[in-house]
Amino acid sequence: MEPLKERFGSLAHTIRKRRTAYLFTAPAIITLLAITIFPLLYEVRLVFMSWELTTNAAPEFVGLQNLIKVLFQDSRFWSSVRVTAVLIVLGVSIQLGIGTGLALVLNRIGRWRTPLVSLFLIPVMIAPVVAGFQFRMIYHDQFGPLNYIIEIITGGRWRGFAWIADPNVALFAILMTDVWQWTPFLMLIVLAGLQSIPLELYEAAEVDGASPWQSFWRITLPLLLPVIIIGILIRAMDAFKLFDIVYLVTGGGPGNVTETISFYTYLQGFKFFSLGYTAAMAFIQLIIITLIARFFLSFQKRQRGET
Amino acid sequence: MRRMSCLQKIVTAVVLIVALALFMFPVVWMFLTSFKTEAEYFSYPPVFIPHDFSPRNYLNAMMLPPDGRGGLQGLRDSLIVALSTTVISMSTGSLAAYSLSRFKTGGENLSFWILSTRMFPPVAAALPLFLIFKELKLLDTHWALVIANTVFNLPFVIWMLKGFFDDLSSEMEEAALIDGCTHWGVFARVALPLITPGLVATSLFSFIFSWNEFMFALLLTRRSVRTLTVIVPSLVGGHEILWGEIAAIGTIAIIPGIVLSVLFQRFLVRGLTMGAVKG
Repeated sequence: MEPLKERFGSLAHTIRKRRTAYLFTAPAIITLLAITIFPLLYEVRLVFMSWELTTNAAPEFVGLQNLIKVLFQDSRFWSSVRVTAVLIVLGVSIQLGIGTGLALVLNRIGRWRTPLVSLFLIPVMIAPVVAGFQFRMIYHDQFGPLNYIIEIITGGRWRGFAWIADPNVALFAILMTDVWQWTPFLMLIVLAGLQSIPLELYEAAEVDGASPWQSFWRITLPLLLPVIIIGILIRAMDAFKLFDIVYLVTGGGPGNVTETISFYTYLQGFKFFSLGYTAAMAFIQLIIITLIARFFLSFQKRQRGET
Repeated sequence: MRRMSCLQKIVTAVVLIVALALFMFPVVWMFLTSFKTEAEYFSYPPVFIPHDFSPRNYLNAMMLPPDGRGGLQGLRDSLIVALSTTVISMSTGSLAAYSLSRFKTGGENLSFWILSTRMFPPVAAALPLFLIFKELKLLDTHWALVIANTVFNLPFVIWMLKGFFDDLSSEMEEAALIDGCTHWGVFARVALPLITPGLVATSLFSFIFSWNEFMFALLLTRRSVRTLTVIVPSLVGGHEILWGEIAAIGTIAIIPGIVLSVLFQRFLVRGLTMGAVKG
């Protein structure tokens, strides 16, 4: 009879374990479901409605009209797509370039590394709104330090730009703010990747007569690649949602040359009050971000499988 | 690592000093501006060092319009929202993280679903949340921001803590179970204390994410709740820009971030990548 009792015991144990497992997860899952599912359903319903808060007209069903209008008739939407794409591609490339450079330098030094990394990371931890305010002061065409420094360097021949008001450089002003804030993030990630590479690999390569250049291309870069890809994906998803800095530094202007997708969606929803139209744009963004996120998650799953 | 030659050392030092100067400049400039008088920040050539470090801008900022307590209200509201969000996310999140890590509840799919909710573009969530909160009469309350921020902080907390639990060997917990401890007891008295540093770092991250949050604060609250992040742009907007006062508020607003960066450097990589990269 003993083994049977033991089996019953373990069955009871399993049931208890299962129950605990679900009880423990329940509060978080229920909270998350409640605060994501309802907004999502509400939004999907809105996509098919025309609902203008400015006209007092009752919401009506319009089918795919909102989506068609966004995708095929709204040049301002496509302009915001272009702005966002520039910020993602150019911004993340510059951040990766400078960040990798800094990480390679920091990786070579010893006792100063820890305090220096802490200082470099401060921009990342600052609220984007506050970062935007800092750059707004710096970019000020009359009293800002940037134009003053330009004037000194050029010996007074050139007094710089009206960074925020000049349509030719306003997007660059946004780009530089984002680069300032997020370069340290990629620096940190690349540095973490560099430090996880075992030193023996370099020693072995040196014994085999590899030049430092060769070890960089053959050892450092391939081993860094997964970390760099994760960093790029995280940054791309964040840059896709860029809003705070635009709101603060240029407010989307001059004209709409610095309007990102997020910013334009905000205008449609909370300035023009076209609810259905906003929902359609939000829906498109949701699909795009889901695609990037899926890629990110499957990449992470694969990394986990390998290690 | 090979020893660096003298020249290499000099080049390294120069590169780092220049880079650090560039990355510190905006923060230092704001800090200095927070002590300048109006004549000093509206002058050309710009004044770099203010003539005194009197806290007048900080005191003025606390008593800003519209109701003469702008900065104070901002501090209060930012604290209430960030603390409540952190408490809710940590208490429900730590349980879920433990369960996901130890019992593999729901398998990988559940974990990744949780993570994917964090990737939501906030602007896509803002409109439906606005309309729902309007129905529920929650607009312009602390709850609106706490709920909205929880959407993003809870997945973060779960993933961070799951990583810490994964790193922990379960031997001690099994021993405690055999000694007759309940799962709850094991969780609260064995597992949680073992990851204390991770808990502190995760809470601080969660606090800062909601402390720095701007879009929901802008769209879901108006008058009775105004966090520091909405006060800053509301003051920039007017034609009379109160740079000194805004700089003072900005300086106060970045303190939690600096504390995290200095004290918890070893958790930064994890925190900023949601555990995708382990530093």
